[in-house]
Amino acid sequence: MLDAITRLGGGVRSVVALTTSALPLLIIGGLFYAAVFVKAEPMVASLQAPTIERRDVFLGVVAPSADVLWAAGSYGKIVRSEDRGRTWALQQTPVAEHLQAIAAWDLQRAVVVGNRGVVLVTSNGGKDWREVDAPRSEVANKLMQVRAYGNGVAWAVGEVGAVLKTRDYGMSWSRALEEKDQAWNDVFLIGDHGWMVGEFGRIVTTRDGGESWQAVESPLKSSLMSVHFRDAVNGVSVGLSGAILVTADGGMTWREAPRVTREHLNCVIWDGVQWVAVGDKGVRVVGVADGSRWTGGRVSEQDLSWRTQLVRVGEGFLLAGANLALLDQGQLEIIGRE
Amino acid sequence: MKNATFRMLGRVIDVLLRHRLIVVAAVAAMTCVMGFFAAQVEVKTVFSDLLPKNHPYVQINDRFKHTFGGSNLVSIMVEVEDGDIFSLATLGKVRKITRELQQVEGVDTYQIVSLASKKLKEVRASTEGIESRPLMWPELPRDQVEIQALRDAVLNNPLVYGPYVSRDLKATLITADFSDGEVDYLKAYRQIADIAAQAQGDGVAVRMVGEPILYGLVNHYLSETLHIFLLTLGTLILLLLLITRTWYGTLLPLISGGVSAVWALGMAKLMGFHLDPLVIVVAFLITANALSTSVQLISRFEHEVENGAPDSVSAARVCLAHLFKPGMLAVLTGAFCVLVVSLTPIPLLEKISYIGSVWLLSILITALVLTPVMLSWCGVRHRPVHPLDITPLLNGILRLCAALVTSRFRYAVIVGSAVVFVVSGMYAFNLKVGDANPGSPILWPDSTYNTDAAAINREFQGSDRMFVVVEGKREGALKEPAVLEGMERFQKYMEAQPEVGGSISLADLLPAVNRVVREGNARYQELGGSSNENGELVYMFVSGSDPGDMDRFADAQTKNGAVTLFFRDHQGDTIRTAIARVKEYVTRNPVPEVELLLAGGLVGVLGAVNEIILAGQIESIAYALLVLVVCCMLTYRSAVAGVFFMIPVLLSNTLTFSYMAWQGIGMSINTLPVVALGIGFGVDYSIYIVDGIREELHRHRDVGRAIASSIATAGKGVLITALTLVMSVVLWSFSSLRLQAEMGILIAIWLFISAASAMFLMPAMVAVFRPEFIVGSRRHPIDLAAPAEMVPVS
Repeated sequence: MLDAITRLGGGVRSVVALTTSALPLLIIGGLFYAAVFVKAEPMVASLQAPTIERRDVFLGVVAPSADVLWAAGSYGKIVRSEDRGRTWALQQTPVAEHLQAIAAWDLQRAVVVGNRGVVLVTSNGGKDWREVDAPRSEVANKLMQVRAYGNGVAWAVGEVGAVLKTRDYGMSWSRALEEKDQAWNDVFLIGDHGWMVGEFGRIVTTRDGGESWQAVESPLKSSLMSVHFRDAVNGVSVGLSGAILVTADGGMTWREAPRVTREHLNCVIWDGVQWVAVGDKGVRVVGVADGSRWTGGRVSEQDLSWRTQLVRVGEGFLLAGANLALLDQGQLEIIGRE
Repeated sequence: MKNATFRMLGRVIDVLLRHRLIVVAAVAAMTCVMGFFAAQVEVKTVFSDLLPKNHPYVQINDRFKHTFGGSNLVSIMVEVEDGDIFSLATLGKVRKITRELQQVEGVDTYQIVSLASKKLKEVRASTEGIESRPLMWPELPRDQVEIQALRDAVLNNPLVYGPYVSRDLKATLITADFSDGEVDYLKAYRQIADIAAQAQGDGVAVRMVGEPILYGLVNHYLSETLHIFLLTLGTLILLLLLITRTWYGTLLPLISGGVSAVWALGMAKLMGFHLDPLVIVVAFLITANALSTSVQLISRFEHEVENGAPDSVSAARVCLAHLFKPGMLAVLTGAFCVLVVSLTPIPLLEKISYIGSVWLLSILITALVLTPVMLSWCGVRHRPVHPLDITPLLNGILRLCAALVTSRFRYAVIVGSAVVFVVSGMYAFNLKVGDANPGSPILWPDSTYNTDAAAINREFQGSDRMFVVVEGKREGALKEPAVLEGMERFQKYMEAQPEVGGSISLADLLPAVNRVVREGNARYQELGGSSNENGELVYMFVSGSDPGDMDRFADAQTKNGAVTLFFRDHQGDTIRTAIARVKEYVTRNPVPEVELLLAGGLVGVLGAVNEIILAGQIESIAYALLVLVVCCMLTYRSAVAGVFFMIPVLLSNTLTFSYMAWQGIGMSINTLPVVALGIGFGVDYSIYIVDGIREELHRHRDVGRAIASSIATAGKGVLITALTLVMSVVLWSFSSLRLQAEMGILIAIWLFISAASAMFLMPAMVAVFRPEFIVGSRRHPIDLAAPAEMVPVS
């Protein structure tokens, strides 16, 4: 090869000579540069947080139609599914408070309540959530539950005797009862008939759509968490330590059913066939129509999460609590867990 | 070499050979002294040796490990086959293990946590306020009712249900932390393994994982390691005997390797270092270098004898005179390259680097001087030790090689190498820093340890921990709602990473207390709304609990706290992602009252190690190459020479890196010693062959003949060393320690590529490019040697 180059003549030869003497110096210089100045930087792929994360707690759920599901939870999180829970989309909210409950008038209009008296409304299916003013107490303001009824009426209840009412789809709120040192945990209306339950086993009822409320004697001193009526006459309320109260006279008198669990019960509903209540450690209690017979058990033997609410979705249920879950034909699917 | 220098070297060699008895006696005496020290070298693993002391993560770990848990955590899982753990038999086993762990050497008795320890508590409201009492300490539940109560208490407690009792109630965890530096891993491992073995059975499986177990296992396999080492040595002897057919050809290389090993270990003891069983393979790498030097000398000696040297003394003299320069160069280059490794601020690497350099330097005496001196006694007539002669085969290979590189194929060799270099260089970028697979890469995937680790990480949130310190700027900072909420959001953010199984902090503790205060109402499982409220919750938790119970979460002044993250594995990518995410979160969401500090626990310190390795890898490779280039440049007084010898090293590095990337071997604290030292090796074969060509050209000007001749002598040495070493190093692949097996294969590849490039690529490049420093030029012709050299010593 060198012979070949020699034959090429002086010019090429000096170019080759120059390259062969400069190249090593370049390489050495490059090594030195690399040693002193080049630092490897780690490459890290960016990570997209899932819509529903493991730590998310969902305290309130609502199903405005068989397909559309809505859930509200910790740190101002609201998610919605339009395909019966297969996929969920995160909705932006202007708050970071824990949200306790959600209620919907229809697929577009809904209201959410939560800690520190936060009330959020939407009129476009949750594309925009707006914080609205509601009366607040000087003492404490956690709102526990909200329920929506026809003509834009909704009731919200909570700490320090908060009972708030709206008639315009949540735009404005007024106090329906005076503040007092006792929290209301749930409110439920059928037509003009209505009931509220709360701390110290307190129960009140209305016959005029909430214009006036009368206290009813309660057989319990411990907190009642939830109340539900299947018609204007037959209702059930559940509470701490597995308490179950049954009424067959529109809530004027209540009798306590034998307890089938020691766990707190947080929510009870009539699913069309039977009463279903859920609570701590995955318990589920079911009762026959007249509330005379109750049986305890679990939502699923593999799951011991606490639940705050359940709603009927088609043939199954959507459950809120330590996690968001769908129960379909005895199969529990926890959303957002692998 | 200039004739003048040659003559001076000749005189020194004469002196050495004349006083050969004294030389041998001196070396023997030195070996005895060093052997005395070498016998006292401790073989053990010190985990803190693996950690870069000045790295901020390691400093945070050292500052807080006593409260928030260090990197020496052992997790023991008690798992039932049927039913759940809530039976008297199983709970009894948990208590037995927990109690017996207290007796294990080096355990931090305050950091043993299980259902049966004082640490796991139930917090409940009673008429006298909040009461917190141990779940199952000191007594086991007496009957089914109490078991049911315990079960309820566990289910109610998010600090237990999940972290210490699995979601399906089939398994429970016992964790114990060990004090750094004091723990003898082997003893601890054996004691824990005993405890576990006793508890095993009756439908209960006991599994364990953690760095102390891992390093204990490594030490446990030490006797096996020793057996493999001896077996390798035996194979080496047999192979050398088979090939050389002479006793001196077999024993002299081994004496060189042995003596330098004794010297190096003696020096290690004198420098106060110990030997890590994981890097024993490195010892083999260096010994390979000693053997190679010695074999080169012997090969040259035999060549001189064949060419009619009158006696063994003069043959020894000529062989040393010829090989002194390349030998020096090979050894010094290796030693300096190894010294570069000490730039990496990891104590283990610094120690290896110092020992390695000393070891390599000792070869100058033990091989370069001792071998020719001993050869001078060997005589020139030898009857072969056995009849089996494979010399024709070797010579055939060498002739083929010589024919190849002097024919047109030499271009193919160069082009082929260039292609291999480019392809492997690109593939080498897939090499990962940190462990590349879940479980421990030190052990095989189907080893008990790794299957245990997988099982524990399946049942629980993850057995590898990292704590991030939340350092408050004033006392009580941790009670601020903004701080606590910030911690919870941080945990949520981190848990989005799939490998993070969960996390725990004060922000998880207080909501649980709050809920208890509020009649157990789930809607109140949240942080207090004000500093005062949180202060009350903290007070309620602390009152009635023992001092120290809070330590895992925050100090008594609620100034500094920790967020502990549980990882399902400690792969390099997992750790990098986690640390990058912590940094990202901290910059995006500053909390005025506190600062988040990275990072303690095993994952934290491994993160530090990986950062050091990543930041330093380019630096150390570049410096090692620079050292190599400079050594060769000075020796041959030519810049081209430096670059010329860089080529085989680059090639063997890219190929080994590619192999590691392909096999999923990460560049971790365990593989780094071999990889880092390897940069300095692999050049010596090339030096012998190229220098052989150059020396031959002192006698005539036919480059082709010089190449053929050099391959016949130096090439023969290379072939013998490579054959014997590669074949014996393969024995390591039977090791129970995957790391040793892989490192063995890595070294074999290294030696093979170095040998191949020395025998094919380098001569081909000489033939094609004819670099001036080898073949000379019209302006700087090579001096022809004076013929007086071959005169026998009188």
